[in-house]
Amino acid sequence: MSTAAPHAPMDPAIVVGRTREDVVVGKEIVRHRLWSRLAHWIVALTFAVCLLTGMPIWTPVFGWMAHLFGGLSVCRVIHPWAGVAFFLAAGIQFVEWIGDMHFESWERDWIGPRVFRYMRYEADDPRTGKYNGGQKLYFWAVSLGALGLLLSGLMMWFPTSFPKPLMELAYLVHDFTFICFAVSLVFHIYLGTAAEPGTFGSMTRGTVTRPWARLHHPRWYREVTGEEPRRG
Amino acid sequence: MSMQTLEIRRSSASVLGSLSGLRKATTVAKYIDTSTCIGCKACEVACQEWNDLRIVPTEQTGTYQTLPTLHADYWNLIRFNERDFDGGIVWLMRKDQCMHCDEPGCLAACPAPGAIVQYGNGIVDVNPDQCIGCKYCETGCPFDVPRFSATTGKMSKCTLCVDRVSVGLEPACIKACPTGCLHFGTKEDMVALGNSRVAQLKANGFANASLYDPQGVGGTSVVTVLAHGDHPDWYSLPADPHVPWGVKLWKKVLRPLGVAAIFGAVIGAFAHYTKYGPKEVEGSSDSDRNRPNA
Repeated sequence: MSTAAPHAPMDPAIVVGRTREDVVVGKEIVRHRLWSRLAHWIVALTFAVCLLTGMPIWTPVFGWMAHLFGGLSVCRVIHPWAGVAFFLAAGIQFVEWIGDMHFESWERDWIGPRVFRYMRYEADDPRTGKYNGGQKLYFWAVSLGALGLLLSGLMMWFPTSFPKPLMELAYLVHDFTFICFAVSLVFHIYLGTAAEPGTFGSMTRGTVTRPWARLHHPRWYREVTGEEPRRG
Repeated sequence: MSMQTLEIRRSSASVLGSLSGLRKATTVAKYIDTSTCIGCKACEVACQEWNDLRIVPTEQTGTYQTLPTLHADYWNLIRFNERDFDGGIVWLMRKDQCMHCDEPGCLAACPAPGAIVQYGNGIVDVNPDQCIGCKYCETGCPFDVPRFSATTGKMSKCTLCVDRVSVGLEPACIKACPTGCLHFGTKEDMVALGNSRVAQLKANGFANASLYDPQGVGGTSVVTVLAHGDHPDWYSLPADPHVPWGVKLWKKVLRPLGVAAIFGAVIGAFAHYTKYGPKEVEGSSDSDRNRPNA
């Protein structure tokens, strides 16, 4: 097999293996099965539409985004429906991933300064399973945030059906949740691409390399390779 | 007044605000004396006719009031409030419409650039061209005035007959009033007129008479004489209207902080990459990573 070939043929075992998860195929480990990756990208796409249609309504600083859709009034029509689609997609993803997302007692300190130690590459732990505490935190924040955005968003869609003080609260909840989303999304994308090489492939081809798994998710690596019995 | 009064003082969703002041424009105001209103509804009809609004069927609510509340196609409504006094029933009629606040809550809440403007003369107007029909202004308004029109998908409300005022005419409602309880002029003149009427009412036994020009919204371009000024609620008026705290917090605090946080996150990610670089996986060289299927 020449490295010059732009698209080297894929190991047939990987093609089969990619419909399943947590299996070793040759040099690689399948991290996200096809359905998992699809769920993630549907969430990403619907959220991107929400973001690009919502931000120009949020502030004129991002008003230029409205031109992508044909103006602010078009954004206003698309945004609520995109929001519903995002919530449904996030719901599917929630069901798909929740099994791996329970916090272990030693991981609790991720809700705190450990996040910053991790960003200094100082928080690696041999006990890290398929997802680290930060990823679990992000999962729960996204799921809870999606619910908050849906509920406040539905109120904003039909504002005259609710008392005014409740509407003021809805606008604040929607804004606050969105800001948290936007800020954490920047780091989510950054960590998944530039900051941690080898990660992006887990969401495209579905696979990661053995050294990648050993570095980022050591216990998961030991479990999928059979060095250690699997937990839960 | 002339077209120069259409200079814009404030404009919704504008980053730097609308810097006006090239021309000097006098703030105008309507004067409403509830104590001499006879509830004839001539102003309602004049409003409908001049603004060419469609016919809204009357809704019977047990009073003489035309509709329970303002409507997208009905911008001027006499509210018939009845009060039980020692001597019997008293009608406290008040002409309800947009108050044209100096600090408009609708404009503060509006997300569409230029959809709500405040002209140099203080008139607050909806620009249907820019309105996206999100109804945020309904939450922002302390007087419950803007209404969503299902026909147009936009908000609508009293314009203070800006089209008439800008060519030197008085608003249609003012012109139609047969008792002289409505007047139109500069804000200064209308406040002076109101104060003199209040003094008259006080001399005639209405000790609590007052001029309703709520300072919580910086004053309004509709000043209302109330014989029972200690009870604006008797006239379906809020006692201390102001731009809702939630709207202020949302637009003045949370929004700028959010914009800063988002730009900060992007800058932070770049700074992080510059300082720490990528978290390389041991044993995988660059050539490995760049090879297809590696």
